[in-house]
Amino acid sequence: MIAAPGQGRALARDEDQTAAARTRIAVQGLAKRFNASGREFVAVDDVSFEVKQGEFVALLGPSGCGKSTILNMVAGLLPRSGGRIFIDDDTVEIGKVNPRVGYVFQRDTLFPWRTVEQNIGYGLEIARLPKTARAGRVASAVEKAGLAGFAQSFPRMLSGGMRQRVALMRTLILEPEILLMDEPFGALDTHTKLEMHKTLLEIWERERQTVLFVTHDLGEALTLASRIILLSARPGRLKEDFDVAIPRPRDPVAVRETAEFGRLYSHIWHSLGEEFRRTRAD
Amino acid sequence: MSNSRTAILFWQLAILAAVLVIWQWGFEWSKALLPKGYVPKILDPYFVAKPSLIWQSFLRLGCFADASGFAACIKGNDNNLWLATLVTLKNTWWGFLFGSASGIAAGLILGRSDFLARVFGPYIVALNSIPRIALVPLVILIFGLGDLSKIATAWLVVFFVVFFNTFEGTRAVDRDQIAAARLLGASEFTVLRTVVIPSALAWVFASLLPAVSFALIGVIVGEFIGAERGLGKLIIEAEARANASEMMVAIFVMMFVGILLAIAVRSLQSYLLRWQPQFEPSV
Ligand SMILES: Nc1ncnc2c1ncn2[C@@H]1O[C@H](COP(=O)(O)OP(=O)(O)O)[C@@H](O)[C@H]1O
Ligand SMILES: [Mg+2]
Repeated sequence: MIAAPGQGRALARDEDQTAAARTRIAVQGLAKRFNASGREFVAVDDVSFEVKQGEFVALLGPSGCGKSTILNMVAGLLPRSGGRIFIDDDTVEIGKVNPRVGYVFQRDTLFPWRTVEQNIGYGLEIARLPKTARAGRVASAVEKAGLAGFAQSFPRMLSGGMRQRVALMRTLILEPEILLMDEPFGALDTHTKLEMHKTLLEIWERERQTVLFVTHDLGEALTLASRIILLSARPGRLKEDFDVAIPRPRDPVAVRETAEFGRLYSHIWHSLGEEFRRTRAD
Repeated sequence: MSNSRTAILFWQLAILAAVLVIWQWGFEWSKALLPKGYVPKILDPYFVAKPSLIWQSFLRLGCFADASGFAACIKGNDNNLWLATLVTLKNTWWGFLFGSASGIAAGLILGRSDFLARVFGPYIVALNSIPRIALVPLVILIFGLGDLSKIATAWLVVFFVVFFNTFEGTRAVDRDQIAAARLLGASEFTVLRTVVIPSALAWVFASLLPAVSFALIGVIVGEFIGAERGLGKLIIEAEARANASEMMVAIFVMMFVGILLAIAVRSLQSYLLRWQPQFEPSV
């Protein structure tokens, strides 16, 4: 169950190579229809995109446009109504967990009966890794999360930001090559959010996982992502696709002063504004 | 803080003393003070005994006051207080253990399977509607006058209580927590062991505390209706002789048995649920 260190990861050290890098996630003609009180309604309609090795892609769109639905279908948590999804060359199947894929929820899904250490070590523990082999990796993950001294605490003793860091480490300790994240910092206050961006940027700029990051927060998408896929309001359709050419390493505060940030911000803001107006018009 | 604690203790002891004094001497005092028709019957030692008589009965039943000595007295009476207590305690414990173990197992299985829950749902509701006490004579007919029928009665009472709570607890498990565990590599069985059971445990324990009292009730009722030994049997024998103080001895011992079992369950609960704020170990 433990992901082998990806060969691909080493390949795409340099972001400039992404154009030549192999495709890790391929979504083709994806659709999702829900049955809401007898009436069928389309949540996601004909969405296609690709994520290449080492890319950090943000899936941006107004709330309710189907971002989580798309992500959950990519993760194999939700059956799709149409279209195809490939991770590497394998079709995504419901209930079949891909050990190369990690998922971080927006909602707090820590196990409240486990300590910080036991939460972070969960994946290694159920993979039957011996305790002695686990201890070192867990300790360094606790350290990386900035939670030294809280290893024995239960989640309810931690702040929201600390809990989300535990959740992140619980996923990252399994060294997934592909990371799916569903508004993981959506419930945090601005300050904590910026700190989490810093942590995530540091980790990603070092390890270069392939990331598909769902958010409705434009600033967050611009801070983190190398590419932004903009979705329309319900039903979710692909609207635009941008490269974010802000150099790395990035600092979550300093990026906001770059010209590229300002240019993309106002452009996407207008585009997104149309979608928000459509949402309200519904 | 310590001030109010001593105040609470003071009032608790004062109430205890008042109850004991009125119980011991209230009847004589009211006979001396009140006109004939107004003496409260509830104070009559014929019905409610009195502390000094209860103490004497305790010494006698407990073989502390026997001329032949403690050991000979214990041997001579096969439903002496100690043996009766042991039998009742033992049957309560086994009935509680089997009842809660099978209740937890059934609750987990049906809680995780919609299909089985639908199939068995109506039967469980129907069976649960039977007043359990009505089944006791039947249970004794089947299992005889010995320990087995008492354990079966306790089982009947405990099973449903624990089953329903475990079932609800299993249903209430956070679906995203299950999804998270699956995505971290957990198999269906590992999800059950590491997510469903720990998460449902709070619900299970909420039923175990009443269940332990129910088990005791089940055993005592079984002993009332047909038994050779036990505290319930002791009460029935005392009733036949209209001996209120002996009944009181048995009742007090039952109280201690009940407290003992409740403490055992509580300490297990506060250990296993120490991650919950209300069970946080106070340092
Ligand atoms: N299980 C479901 N049943 C019916 N409708 C759903 C279900 N899940 C999501 N929806 C609807 O689909 C739309 C998209 O939801 P979601 O993907 O959660 O949006 P987002 O994550 O972009 O905020 C919403 O209108 C939501 O109400
Ligand atoms: Mg969402």
